[in-house]
Amino acid sequence: MSPFTLGLLYGGVTLLVMFSGMPISFSLGLVATVFMFFFMPTSALDTVTQNVYEEMSAITLLSIPLFILKGAAIGRSPAGRDLYSALHVWMHRIPGGLGIANVFACALFAAMAGSSPATCSAIGSAGIPEMRKRGYPGGFAAGLIAAGGTLGILLPPSITMILYAVAAEQSLGRLFLAGIGPALLLVAFFAAYAAWRYSREVSRAEEGSALLATESYTLGQKFAALPRVLPFVLLLTGVMVALYGGFATPSETAGLGAILALILIALIYNTWRPRQLEPIMANTIRESSMLMLIIGMSLFYSYVMSYLHISQSVAGWIVAQHLSRWVLLAAILVMVVVLGFFLPPVSIILMTAPIILPPLKAAGFDLVWFGVIMTIVMEMGLIHPPVGLNIFVIKNIAPDIPLGDVVWGIVPFVILMTLAVAVLCFLPEIALWLPDKLIT
Amino acid sequence: MKLVGYINRAIVVLSAIALVLASCVLTYSVLLRYFTPEPTDWQDEFSVFLLIGVSFLAAAWVHSQRGHIGIEALASILPPKVNRVRLFFVDMLSALFCAFFAWKSWTLLAEAWTEGYVSATAWAPPLWIPYSLMSVGMTLLTLQIVLQAFRPLPPPAPPTEVPL
Repeated sequence: MSPFTLGLLYGGVTLLVMFSGMPISFSLGLVATVFMFFFMPTSALDTVTQNVYEEMSAITLLSIPLFILKGAAIGRSPAGRDLYSALHVWMHRIPGGLGIANVFACALFAAMAGSSPATCSAIGSAGIPEMRKRGYPGGFAAGLIAAGGTLGILLPPSITMILYAVAAEQSLGRLFLAGIGPALLLVAFFAAYAAWRYSREVSRAEEGSALLATESYTLGQKFAALPRVLPFVLLLTGVMVALYGGFATPSETAGLGAILALILIALIYNTWRPRQLEPIMANTIRESSMLMLIIGMSLFYSYVMSYLHISQSVAGWIVAQHLSRWVLLAAILVMVVVLGFFLPPVSIILMTAPIILPPLKAAGFDLVWFGVIMTIVMEMGLIHPPVGLNIFVIKNIAPDIPLGDVVWGIVPFVILMTLAVAVLCFLPEIALWLPDKLIT
Repeated sequence: MKLVGYINRAIVVLSAIALVLASCVLTYSVLLRYFTPEPTDWQDEFSVFLLIGVSFLAAAWVHSQRGHIGIEALASILPPKVNRVRLFFVDMLSALFCAFFAWKSWTLLAEAWTEGYVSATAWAPPLWIPYSLMSVGMTLLTLQIVLQAFRPLPPPAPPTEVPL
C-alpha cells in the first residue's frame, strides 16, 4: 500500500474511532497501536510504552500541569472580581468604558491565568451581570466575555503555544513574545467595537435607560481598589521578567508562577487550608492528567504516522500541488477551523503539525508567525458552536441569556478575529517585531 | 469498588503534594542558579518524574469522573438505549487498549529493573521509577474502566473544566 493510501486509511480510522465517543487520548493510542501491529515490524509493539514515555518526559511539556496549577489558583480566587472592579472604577468615565474595562480585565486575567474558560468564568461572573445591569444587551455582554477569554491562549504563558513550540521545534521564548502584539491588536479591536456598540446603544436608548445613568467614584475609592490587584499584576510582570531576563527557563517559570500564585492567594484571600485548596488541586489534577495523556498519545500517534511515511508523503503531496502561498495558507487555516469544530487545540496541533508545517516552511512562511495565526484561528473554535467551550462557560454563569443571543453576540467577535488574521498576513511585523527586537 | 475509591482518594492527595513539590523544586532551581554557581542537574528530571506520576496515577480517578474528553456528537443524537450500548463498546475498547499499554509498561519496567537502565543525563536516575508509576497508573486505569463499564453512569463532568 502506498504511504498516501495508508495515510487516508489512518485518518479515516482515526475519525471513525473518535466519533464513536472514545476519549481522544485512548482513540489516538489505539489507532496508532493497531496500525503498528499491521504495518510495522512486530518488535515495534514492544516499544509502545517506551515511546510514549520518551515523548512525554520533556520538562517543557511537563511544565503544563504547573501552568494549570497557577491558573487554577488565580482563577478560583476572587482575583478576577477584584481586577474587574478596579478597572471599572478607573475606566467608567470613558464612553463605553464598562465594555472596555471588561476587555482589559479579560486580557490581564488571561495573561495571569493562561486559560480561556477560567478567564471567562472569573471576569464574566462579575462583568456580565454588571454590564446587563447598566443596560448592555445580554448577547453583547456574553460575546464580549467569550471573545475576551480567548486571549488566554494567545498571551504568554499559553499552553497551546508550548505545544506548538514543541511540535514545530520553534523557540518557545520567541513564540510567547510573538503572541503579545497580535493579542494587543485583538484587545484594540474588541475595545473599539465595545465603544462603538455602546454609542449606538446610547443613541437608541430611551429616557431613563440604565445606559444613560452616570456614576462617580472619589479618588479615594479609586486608590482603595488597587491594593488587591497590584500583587497579581506584579506576579504577572515578575514571571515575565524571570523568563525574559534569563533567570528562569519556561518550565522553571511555571513552577515559580505556581508557587507565587499559591502564596498570593494565601496572603490576600486567606486561602491556604487544605479544604480551601482542594477544589484548586482537584481541578488541576483532573485537567493535567487528561491533557498529558492526550499529549503523550498524540505524540505517539504522530510518531507512527511519520514511521509509516504518511506525514512525509502527504506533506510532499501538498507541496507538489504548487498552490500559491496564500491559497495554501487559506486551505490549511480552513482545515484548522473545521478540526476546531470537534477537537481541542492540543490534539489539532500535535496531529497536524508534521503534515502542515513542512509545506508552509517550503512556501516561505515564518513558523513562529504561523504559530500565532494558528492560535488565533483555534481561539475562534473556542467560541463558535458546536464545541465552543467558552459558550458553555457563559451559559453556566448567565443561564438566562438565551443561547441564540449568545451565539449572535459572538459573531461580530469572530469577524474581528478573522480581520486580525488578515491584518497579520499583511503586517507580520505585528507579531515578529517584539521577538526580533528582544531575542537575537 | 470501595477499595478503588480509597486508592483514588490517596492518589489525589499524593498528586497534589507532587504538584506543589515539583513547583518548589523548580523555584529552588531558579534561586540556586541566581545565588550560587552550582549547576542545576537533578531538578528538571526530578520534576519530570513527579509530573509523570501525577499524569498516569491520576488517570483512573479522572476516568471515574469521565474526565477524559472525547467527541460527544454521537452521544447527543442517539436514543438513550443505543447510547448505552455504544458507551459499553467504547469502554471495552478503551479497556483493551489500556490493558495492552499496562502490560507493555510492566514488561518495560521488568526490563529496566533487570538491566539497570538509567536516564541518559548527568544525574542518571534509574528509569524503573517513572516506568513503575506508568505501570501502576495504567493498571489502575484499566481496572477503573472495566469496573465503571459494568455499573450505572454518574452524570458526566461539566465541560467547563477544560483549560485550553
